[in-house]
Amino acid sequence: MTSNPYFDFVQQFFTSYDCTILEKSDSHLKVQLTSSMDEEIMNRPFYWHYMKKMNRTGDPMQLTFTNTNHSNQGGIYLHAGTPKLHTIYRAAINKGKTARLYEAIEQPLQNRALCPWLVVNIHLHYRGKQSKDETLSLGLNLVHGTLLPNMMDRLREMEFEPTVSDYTFPMTPLINLENAYKRIERYVEGYVSSISADWATHSLEHLQEEKDLLESFYSSEDIGLEQFTKEQEQIDTRYRPRILMETINGGLFYISQNSNTYVINNTAAD
Amino acid sequence: MVEIHPDHTFIPTLRDKLNNPNHLSTWEGFKLAYEAAKINTVPNFDGLLALEHLPHVQFLDHQIEAAEKVIHQMNGRAILADEVGLGKTLEAGLILKEYMIRGVARKILILTPASLVNQWVQELNDKFYIQAASPRKKQAAWSDWDVTVTSIDMAKREAHRQEILSIPYDLIIIDEAHKLKNHNTKNYQFVQELKKTYCLLLTATPIQNKLSDLFNLVSILKPGYLGNLTEFKKKYRYEANKQGNIEHIHSLVGKMMIRNRRKDTGLDDSKRIVVNERLKFTKEEQDMYQELELLKSDHPSFTWLTLAKELCSSREACYMSLNQMRQQSNEQTMAIYSKFIEQLQQLPHHVKAKRMIELISESNEKFIVFTEYRATQFYLQWYLQQHGVSSVPFSGKFNKSKRDWMKQLFKNKAQVLIATEAGGEGINLQFCHHMINYDLPWNPMRLEQRIGRIHRFGQEHDVKIYNFAIENTIEDHIMKMLYEKIEMFKNAVGDLDHILEHIPGGSFDKQIQTILDQSESKGEIDIKLNNLVSYVEHTISERRETS
Repeated sequence: MTSNPYFDFVQQFFTSYDCTILEKSDSHLKVQLTSSMDEEIMNRPFYWHYMKKMNRTGDPMQLTFTNTNHSNQGGIYLHAGTPKLHTIYRAAINKGKTARLYEAIEQPLQNRALCPWLVVNIHLHYRGKQSKDETLSLGLNLVHGTLLPNMMDRLREMEFEPTVSDYTFPMTPLINLENAYKRIERYVEGYVSSISADWATHSLEHLQEEKDLLESFYSSEDIGLEQFTKEQEQIDTRYRPRILMETINGGLFYISQNSNTYVINNTAAD
Repeated sequence: MVEIHPDHTFIPTLRDKLNNPNHLSTWEGFKLAYEAAKINTVPNFDGLLALEHLPHVQFLDHQIEAAEKVIHQMNGRAILADEVGLGKTLEAGLILKEYMIRGVARKILILTPASLVNQWVQELNDKFYIQAASPRKKQAAWSDWDVTVTSIDMAKREAHRQEILSIPYDLIIIDEAHKLKNHNTKNYQFVQELKKTYCLLLTATPIQNKLSDLFNLVSILKPGYLGNLTEFKKKYRYEANKQGNIEHIHSLVGKMMIRNRRKDTGLDDSKRIVVNERLKFTKEEQDMYQELELLKSDHPSFTWLTLAKELCSSREACYMSLNQMRQQSNEQTMAIYSKFIEQLQQLPHHVKAKRMIELISESNEKFIVFTEYRATQFYLQWYLQQHGVSSVPFSGKFNKSKRDWMKQLFKNKAQVLIATEAGGEGINLQFCHHMINYDLPWNPMRLEQRIGRIHRFGQEHDVKIYNFAIENTIEDHIMKMLYEKIEMFKNAVGDLDHILEHIPGGSFDKQIQTILDQSESKGEIDIKLNNLVSYVEHTISERRETS
């Protein structure tokens, strides 16, 4: 299946979490779920509760996915908006929330120190009259405080392992996590104030219009005080411009000196 | 200047997990989480993400605008009230898909007349790649299905009701929502009890007769938005003259409703040609019609009205009523009915039926014939068969599969489809572009719904409509008074529903019924109908001036 990004994502997701691909063609993909994956994405809590009570292993399901132009074969559509895909995204985000990863280094020539970075991926939710999201990927060096944008793009081609490679050792961070995160918050504030705030202005204008209209209803006695207050609060929550900062995932990444230079100078990220 | 709400939960979570390394992610898993979050991002304030995912569907400008407005300005609660045939279903599908892509709609319930369930399922699948389930009789896994299409009648049954009402739906779409205009019905109460975040009501006729119809629809979307019904009615009735009040209501409603009109959308490629055919009764028929008027003296005027209308349709329709009356009569009156029935049997084939045959055999094209009476439907089918013309019947009472089958037969085999009023909604017959309105309904909006079956999005030919009426009869009156004068055929009926809302004191149907019932003479009927019509006309012209 060419040019279907969902296909690649789904396949990668299931193989990463130990589910077996039973069948695969250009147009479809059949997966055997593991018990824990079934429990996580199939939404049948009673079944699993019962199985555990009875001390049985349970029978995890198989899922078939299909390209939309081969719909006659049956299976879940690999297309934007398909509910199962959203479940899978959520599972992926849940499972990949936190990490501590060490750069994989094969047989270093000498003992090598690994420098700690805090990598944080952030969703900025712009909310107001209209809404949109933006993802930011930031990396903060916990020794000397360098802060880099587009961090995931810089790291993408590198290899990391959950355990530290032989002959390498992780350095202790000088900046603690709380302070590091505060620096990231300040960076976000700076970033937000550097971009256009027209959306917020429009939203405030609209907020005022709505309030004026509501007040006119109130003064012409179309609505009572109780409803007036309630509506006023609702209008405020709906239209007052604000940005919610949500951390998608983050973790400690230990990176060698050589690679530090590579990461900082990586132009793939620009 | 813009408030930023930081995320205070993450660092404690991270600390906690670093102490329990079992819960930490691999590099692969970390990257997947980031990818997933990026896919789930809505990058722009405006526009629709769905469009780039649906390159195979040609959406029209007004459909895209409608979807954008519902999502960006109306917060997903709206009445989609485009005129018949402008693609309300496509608009609703587009909004649905958009919400699904944005990940905010996952549990979706679509309520539609039973005859449209299959059509919805198919359209969602083919056009939007949305896999929807529709429950069969026994098996209905409401809580397992993400997208469900069903009828209100099915949903409100004891077996399903509780489960459906317990599910918090993200989006509910109700097709043909004008059926919910009465807030006292079980259907209305059921719909109001549903748990929903977003809600779309689809109807081509948001106001069928009264402004309170619209009030009830708005109350489904936003309870209390227009105050309560009694207050609303009172205010509207007594203060209708105060300009400010009307504008106020209109501005409120405008925030809840999208209404595209055919003439605004440039969809006038296929024209609508309307021919009003005034036919003459034969002498025998005319005599009988006159004699029926005798009944007026000792019967309720409604009786005469019914029989007269029926005689204008077919002998058979009239016979059904007379026969029923005879069975319930005493000895005295039985003689009158028997005499009428005898007289009926002497009548030649109906003048309308003859004209219908002429039109159909001249053209060799497919025709839809609408009648108000089942008996006429049977008669016409038989009569067509006598002339070697193949036809299929259609009625709203048919079950789903029978409707689909009849539609298929009409498309592939038969030349004529004979439908009763109940068949007026829900089927799309764009492959046909000739229609005979064998009988005219009282309410002009119903005629519009009929015409909408063929004059809709996807119609490639000009549409030809024949309206039959018999001279010097009650039908003639209706046609002259209501249809010709109101100029409805020129502007389609777009303006009319606005205006019908302004008629004080009762529905349009009722107005006419009352006039016909209570008048003593033809002259009186004329005057009263004239008044009604000039009221409507006056309002139309007033409206045109102000707009």
